[in-house]
Amino acid sequence: MFDLAFSNLHEILDMNGHGIYVWSVYALGISMIVISFSIAKKRESLAYKKK
Amino acid sequence: MISAFIHKFSSPKSYVRLTEKLYPFFIVLGVSLLTLGWIWGLLFAPQDAVQGNSYRIIFLHVPSVIFAELIYFFMAICALMHLVWRVKLAAYLIKAAAPIGAMITFLGLFSGSIWGIPTWGTWWQWDARITSTLILFIMYLGVITLHGSFSNLIKADRLMSILVIIGVINIPIIKKSVDWWSTLHQPASISISGGSSIDPSMLYPLLISIIGLGFTLISLGILSSRSYIFTREKNKKWIAEHV
Repeated sequence: MFDLAFSNLHEILDMNGHGIYVWSVYALGISMIVISFSIAKKRESLAYKKK
Repeated sequence: MISAFIHKFSSPKSYVRLTEKLYPFFIVLGVSLLTLGWIWGLLFAPQDAVQGNSYRIIFLHVPSVIFAELIYFFMAICALMHLVWRVKLAAYLIKAAAPIGAMITFLGLFSGSIWGIPTWGTWWQWDARITSTLILFIMYLGVITLHGSFSNLIKADRLMSILVIIGVINIPIIKKSVDWWSTLHQPASISISGGSSIDPSMLYPLLISIIGLGFTLISLGILSSRSYIFTREKNKKWIAEHV
């Protein structure tokens, strides 16, 4: 269960031709979550400043 | 009695104090579990015999669509509390949760579309599951737009709550669409009532990803709701004391 499913970095990135689909989805997902947190943090500090 | 209980534990002041303590715990737990689930799923789970490596999108897609529905359901409960018991915190939570729901529904739709290219040969199909999820995304946008279009915020809270309750009818439709209609989308692979068609080597990272995303989104919700509460309650005495 804990054996790496790939033997090198190229295989990880390529994923037998599916890498472009898989990695693009995760890249967007992580970016959207990080951006949402940044916006929320910024709004919170702005709300504090207005007090 | 129910009303007194709800009002006692749903004041914005109590909420801010409670979430201040919970936030660090939730964010650490959420990010850790999500990282673990995704690394396990992306690098250590075996390749699927039919779909190859494209199935690894499941570790983002399934948690996203689960929370797309759950956030709306949560908003509907808040809407009911706001309309029946006039709980203003409930309206603040809807306002904070709607953009998070829209973001996660978009992510669910996007990941599903990308997954569809290598598996179905198309990125979009007007089938019942996908179309009802698109309607959910539009409902989130509608809730955000409706609230933003009123200068009277009390009126905006009430109308937003009514719209949320009308839209909740879509949730069981999304859930049951794969059973009621013949769709391109596959039936549910995991179920709360037990039974899973996924091998444990893929199921465990999926469950960890679901729990991890859950805590991450709760943390995001806490952050967003607190800043909105500070904005709405800025003239209240407790805010000055708190800050």
